[in-house]
Amino acid sequence: MEVEAMKNKLKVFRAMHDLTQEELADKIGVSRQTVIAIESDKYLPSLGLAFKIARLFKVKVEDIFTYEGGGNEN
Amino acid sequence: MYYIMFIMGRKKYKQLRVVVSFFVGAIVAVAVFNNSYLLSIAGVLTGMIFMILVRAKAKIRTDEREATIQEKAARMTYAIFAPTLGIAAFLLLLPSKGGLTVFSKGEWLYTESLGMVLAYLALFLIAIYAISYHFFNKKYGGGGNEE
Repeated sequence: MEVEAMKNKLKVFRAMHDLTQEELADKIGVSRQTVIAIESDKYLPSLGLAFKIARLFKVKVEDIFTYEGGGNEN
Repeated sequence: MYYIMFIMGRKKYKQLRVVVSFFVGAIVAVAVFNNSYLLSIAGVLTGMIFMILVRAKAKIRTDEREATIQEKAARMTYAIFAPTLGIAAFLLLLPSKGGLTVFSKGEWLYTESLGMVLAYLALFLIAIYAISYHFFNKKYGGGGNEE
């Protein structure tokens, strides 16, 4: 799966919860660089990290991460 | 001491790593000036043990993005280094087997020795890759016959 096909609203949710990148990084146990990379769609987080983020913001994973690619690509 | 380690975050850990690196570098420099192998080995080992203990106490986990970068870097290193070693070994072994007159009498012996060393290194590298691939393949559920 290409990184470009995935979009996320992490920056929006982070702003809604009034968190800095550093604070979010500490809460989900990653580096600030990782948060920056996810927000700018340069890095696709693992399923575990995606769930951790979703749980932190009390939303579903698909509310934050959306797949904008084609149909069934295997 | 334990409290400091407990509250230490990733940032503090990185700063401490830089300080320890400078410390080890300084000890090695002093050891080189004094021609003391023992001091340099002791300095490096002390630094390594200290960092392992701090890392364990501070519970520093490897960031998944860093792990991905390391995986890709390792894959690229292997993809470049293994063929380079193999080709270099082949080229160094070629004159001795092909009867080429590029080298004067007996000189090719050195290139042949170096070629053999490189060839074994290439084999060693491929063997390590194959073993670790097999290990991780099993660890992550590959190669099983379960239905």
